[in-house]
Amino acid sequence: MLRNLTARAIVPVAMTVTGFVLVCCILLYAVIKGDMTRSTIQHSVSLADTVMKSTHYAMLRDDRESLGNIIVNIGEQQGIKHLRIFDKAGIVRFSHHPEDNGHEVDMTFSGCLGCHMEPVPKETLEAMQQARKFSAEDGSHVLAITAPIYNQPVCFAGDCHAHPPEQQILGILDIGLDLTPLERNLAEMRGRMAVFTVMVLLLTLGGVAALLRRSVILPIQTLAVFTERALNDTVVGEFPHKEGEIAEIAANVKRLHFRLVESDKELARRRRGPQQGSGAGSESEGGDTRHE
Amino acid sequence: MAIPRKKKGRDGISPREELIEKIRRLESRAARGLWAMAGFMAMSIAAWRYPDPFSHLPERAAAILGAPPPTGLISAALIVYIFSAIILILTRMATGAEAGVGFNHVGYLTGFYFFYSVAGAMGENFWAVLVAGITILSLQSYHLWTYCAEQVRNDKETLAALERKEKFASLYSPESREGEP
Repeated sequence: MLRNLTARAIVPVAMTVTGFVLVCCILLYAVIKGDMTRSTIQHSVSLADTVMKSTHYAMLRDDRESLGNIIVNIGEQQGIKHLRIFDKAGIVRFSHHPEDNGHEVDMTFSGCLGCHMEPVPKETLEAMQQARKFSAEDGSHVLAITAPIYNQPVCFAGDCHAHPPEQQILGILDIGLDLTPLERNLAEMRGRMAVFTVMVLLLTLGGVAALLRRSVILPIQTLAVFTERALNDTVVGEFPHKEGEIAEIAANVKRLHFRLVESDKELARRRRGPQQGSGAGSESEGGDTRHE
Repeated sequence: MAIPRKKKGRDGISPREELIEKIRRLESRAARGLWAMAGFMAMSIAAWRYPDPFSHLPERAAAILGAPPPTGLISAALIVYIFSAIILILTRMATGAEAGVGFNHVGYLTGFYFFYSVAGAMGENFWAVLVAGITILSLQSYHLWTYCAEQVRNDKETLAALERKEKFASLYSPESREGEP
């Protein structure tokens, strides 16, 4: 196994290039995915802020019809999976799906567990912690933001529907964004990265194989033929490659071949000499030359 | 020319036996890279099944440990690590230096799993550590395997030469000539 020079050279290169490019691609993908997810969360937070500001006046005036209309209109935007406001008891007061109004939110639902996993639910969350991901009933992934509607002096000091000052949270605004477009973009990016990795791998392996063949394998094959000719005493000729270590080996082999030929000629001449001089003593002479 | 049939070494072991023992050791060492790989795979399976084992740390312990390093920093360290590890292994391969087994890399890679886990960023980064580990340990195993194979080949040649020498010595030793007329 791996006796072939090309295979022995290519295996470590293939492992190194593939591994390194794959690790870099995965890390790059993780960074880009994190950035895109953060950007989506920021978008959701901004949207929640817009909804809060849009509904603030209607809430102060206790104009429930306007409030409901605002929620329905914003919720109809593309990419919004759900938009609702529920009170502290978990009863949905306004939703862009009107059939949800008046229903209690299921606290065991995966989207709620982020805050309600412990007996005492969390009351304050940072922007990134407000975001949670979960699978909706239809199987699609949802990124939801919960923004608490805090009790403010203007709320409990009003003369219309004053809340007690000790009540910290009046309700929760919940916006769920469909993650399908984000996931589609990420899948496209994964595919492009896979193609890029395969291309880099093929180019590297192809380049290494071509260079090896051109600079090492072909000269070695020529050298093998060259040395075989020298071994078989045929005409050696000129080695086609003029530069490099392999050309030096060929030149050395050629010099050795010529020395051997000269030695053979010298040996033959010595053998012929005594034979021409005295035919009778040829046997003993022949024995000597063998030793020579 | 009289060559002693079996020259004993320092520990009373003949060079031939020493070589056979060395070949046996090298052959068993060649496969040791797979143990490092198996250890890393076991660690990876554990990291895959329990990506967040430190989430239920007591608050006191979490406070002692402090804030986890940023994910970007861990990823940068991973890239530097894989790059330098590959360069070191390739340099050792190129110079024909002795190959290590790679258990130290299993330790380093486990460290990356640990840091990604405490940073709560295992997700895709798990695959990055896994591929990095497979790459480094495969390259290390390949180096170990080729290094040991080359050493075994050299030692087998030496052994064959030694056996030829011993055979030659036995042919011309005084004992073998005793029966001759």
